[in-house]
Amino acid sequence: MARDPKHDILFQPLKIGPKVLRNRFYQVPHCIGAGSDRPGFQAAHRSLKAEGGWAGINTEYCSIHPESDDTHRLSARIWDAGDVRNLRAMTDHIHKYGALAGVELWYGSSHAPNMESRATPRGPSQYASEFETLTYCKEMDLDDIAMVQQYYVDAALRSRDAGFDIVYVYGAHSYLPLQFLSPYYNKRRDGYGGSLENRARFWVETLEKVRKAVGHDCAIATRFAVDTLYGQSGVEAERDGVKFAAMADPLVDLWDIDVGDIAEWGEDAGPSRFYLQGHQVPWTRIIKQVVKKPVLGVGRFTDPEKMTEIVTKGFADIIGAARPSISDPWLPKKIEEGRYDDIRVCIGCNVCISRWEIGGPPMICTQNATAGEEYRRGWHPEKFPKKTSDDSILVVGAGPAGSESARVLMERGYTVHLYDTAQKIGGHVNSIVTLPGLGEWGYHRDYRELQINKLVKKNRQSQVALGQKPMTAAAALAYGAEKIVIATGSAWNTDGTNCLTHDPIPGADASKADQLTPEQVLEGKKPIGKRVVILNADTYFMAPSLAEKLAVAGHDVTIVTGVHLANYMHFTLEYPNMMRRLHELHIKEIQNAFCSRIEAGRLEVYDIWGEGSKRSYRGPGVLPRDPNKTQRWLDFDSLLLVTGRHSNDALHRELKDSKAKWAENGVKDVYLIGDAEAPRLIADATFSGHRLAREIEEANAQFPKPYRREVAVWGVSHMPEGSTQVEYQT
Amino acid sequence: MKLLVAVKQVAALDEDFEIRADGRDVEADFLIRDVNEWDDYSLEEALKIKEAAASPVEVVAVSVGPEDADEALRKCLAKGADRAIRVWDEAIEGSDSIAIARVLAAVARKESPQMLFAGVQSSDHAFASTGVATAAFLDWPHAAVVANLTYTPGGDTAVFRRELEGGVLHEMQIECPAVLTIQLGINTPRYASLRSIKQAAAKPIEVLSLQDLGIAAPDVGESGSLSRVRRMYIPDKGRAEMIEGDVEEQAARLAQIIKDAIGGAA
Repeated sequence: MARDPKHDILFQPLKIGPKVLRNRFYQVPHCIGAGSDRPGFQAAHRSLKAEGGWAGINTEYCSIHPESDDTHRLSARIWDAGDVRNLRAMTDHIHKYGALAGVELWYGSSHAPNMESRATPRGPSQYASEFETLTYCKEMDLDDIAMVQQYYVDAALRSRDAGFDIVYVYGAHSYLPLQFLSPYYNKRRDGYGGSLENRARFWVETLEKVRKAVGHDCAIATRFAVDTLYGQSGVEAERDGVKFAAMADPLVDLWDIDVGDIAEWGEDAGPSRFYLQGHQVPWTRIIKQVVKKPVLGVGRFTDPEKMTEIVTKGFADIIGAARPSISDPWLPKKIEEGRYDDIRVCIGCNVCISRWEIGGPPMICTQNATAGEEYRRGWHPEKFPKKTSDDSILVVGAGPAGSESARVLMERGYTVHLYDTAQKIGGHVNSIVTLPGLGEWGYHRDYRELQINKLVKKNRQSQVALGQKPMTAAAALAYGAEKIVIATGSAWNTDGTNCLTHDPIPGADASKADQLTPEQVLEGKKPIGKRVVILNADTYFMAPSLAEKLAVAGHDVTIVTGVHLANYMHFTLEYPNMMRRLHELHIKEIQNAFCSRIEAGRLEVYDIWGEGSKRSYRGPGVLPRDPNKTQRWLDFDSLLLVTGRHSNDALHRELKDSKAKWAENGVKDVYLIGDAEAPRLIADATFSGHRLAREIEEANAQFPKPYRREVAVWGVSHMPEGSTQVEYQT
Repeated sequence: MKLLVAVKQVAALDEDFEIRADGRDVEADFLIRDVNEWDDYSLEEALKIKEAAASPVEVVAVSVGPEDADEALRKCLAKGADRAIRVWDEAIEGSDSIAIARVLAAVARKESPQMLFAGVQSSDHAFASTGVATAAFLDWPHAAVVANLTYTPGGDTAVFRRELEGGVLHEMQIECPAVLTIQLGINTPRYASLRSIKQAAAKPIEVLSLQDLGIAAPDVGESGSLSRVRRMYIPDKGRAEMIEGDVEEQAARLAQIIKDAIGGAA
């Protein structure tokens, strides 16, 4: 099919400085965990998007000098010739597909802790980072300013030599240029502080210098947080924002516009729990009105209708995307080919971002299991190796792991029967989407449901059997499949078993009328009383989501938590607004506390740091600390047990136990994937199903094949002419 | 005791398609084939009777169509039909539902089932007439749009319910042999296991010709039909126009359209 002509505007080329973007789809800079240290990962991940139709593709933030070292997080670096060589792999691969490559030149100041380089960061004024731990910068004098500006120029020249078409001066997310612009950081009283003109001076001069150095060869872009969302104590779009944009407009070829800061950059990379597609448009359009140069806006754009509206209404010229390009690297190509329902829509869970926040492991994606696996495993999201046998496969469980495994096996040409007791593909996602703000997570299910329904039409031997009786081991063996994949998911513990005591809690029993598991709450059949206590030992979203759901429904909710409540939501950038939400709903949180026993209508709570601090040897059978005497009773009408999960692996165990009968039933192997193997993130469950489907011919396919590693190699120097000898100063 | 289930391999349109050169059908390459959805329910109803029966019941699936209809019949075999019959002859090409009913009636006479189930309609042509026309050729009682059925194998009568407007149910009794057209939702069709699909692939499908059924060629095809397709076409689209260009160009074009619409008063 051809694209709908109403989307033609998205495919109009656009000149940016000396370069031309072939269309309006643009991957803004975003982290993946590759930087310049894993050039194969970098080259493959970015060029896959060039192949998928994006016109401009950027690195993540790219440090210009060892003074801006974000270790333990992983940035790109363009410090020296070694980095140039490695980044060249990315630009060469992007150019093969006719796209432009961009580099986001970055200096972090106090927000870069310099834990590898041990250099001292410099900033507009001395301040302690609100984002980092214990990091202060040195206030720049005029020599410092000239020196750091030269870092940008030198890095820009290296960028040009590395083959980049677009060179950024990165001033969003509270990095250096914005720190000069914002009175939140800039307390100077000289020519670089005070008035807007003075606060803008560093940024404007840097743009001038970079432009002079590489402006004939490269398009100059700047990423600008036009509103730091602090009101007058920071940058406001309609005050300093528009004035700075007008001032710098002659010096840039492309405006990359967003909002927010670094400490709460979830206001930019807004999770779907709180922000809809296009949430930044009210700010982007303000800048578009005052500048002559092309403007790109972001806001998790996945819908071509919305994108077209953005461009036709003049809110922005270019559709910038990070997360949607990870979820579907072929988004532009699918729009161009009119394959709208093949788009793998970003669900806005921010699990991609979580890996950078954790400190730089390779990015993962809930929707796209191949994200980050392009180079090291050779996985292409749209291409699948043909099957190498006529084995037919039974997949029991149509949740994230099972449906992904079935989809990929079907794409490979296998005959697959996907079997579930539920009436709908999706497993526990079908109930999670009913939690406040999580509706868009359903796109994970929708993509698989739609693709599988297409695939079963191509192979009539394949089948989706929903609403079935629970599968038994005998029925699975007799089913007629050569290979059986068990994806039966996991369930919340009904007896209080948790990560703190690794045992059930005395009295915990979700079969009682006044105790419930999350599934029972979501099912909605069991009555819930007015006073609700949530006993939590889970570090992700379930406890705060249930608290929000029940508080909105009029319950008085108290969370007793023995672990850092919603800790993983720091990494997904959901934490700040989740906490604001709990606060505005008057949900009480009792922190660092857990439960020793439960009786009808009450639980015994203790402080987890309540025992004595002095440890001494007191003989066998005696604890080495003074006993915990902080126990007290807390009353409830209903108690929710969010203490932990366990795999639903009974079917797999039975099948393993009946291994002697496999051969007579024609069964060659049985596999266990997803939460049924071990409870985990939806992203990891999806990955496990995908991984098995790609490797099912392997002799022991239950366990992953080794992947290609990218590490420093002994005997090969990072610097082109460098040495690897162990040498000391003498 | 035997139950005969008529099934059809229907066609659905692919995303892109073209009309055949003679303008009377869609080009076959653009069609996606599948078992008619109603027929899944007819088969299930027969299988349920078979499974609940004290004495043996034979379920026979029959389809009128070329070789690709075997796919529909194999699906029936995989789910539990005992036998499958496919009737085809080049002369049948171009038959309307009446001519197809004539063929099905001949099969019914040959097989002497206690009951013949057909879907209420086929999803592609939607005439909703094949089942009842078959009854007419057989001179058997019939009922359409059956949503619930109670039948004891070997019994002389069956009791069934039909859904009428406003949630009203029509409960009726019918003499057997009879033809019933079965409505969606009467049951929950089963799925076939991989094993039964593999076994069905090895089972024979009885192929009958017109001669085997004693039907003369002129009684089928266009000559044996009461209706014929004149043309198949996509109606012209509405007059929506995407106005392109910059704001000035768009405004000028819009003004022109308005002028044209109000009769060119300038």
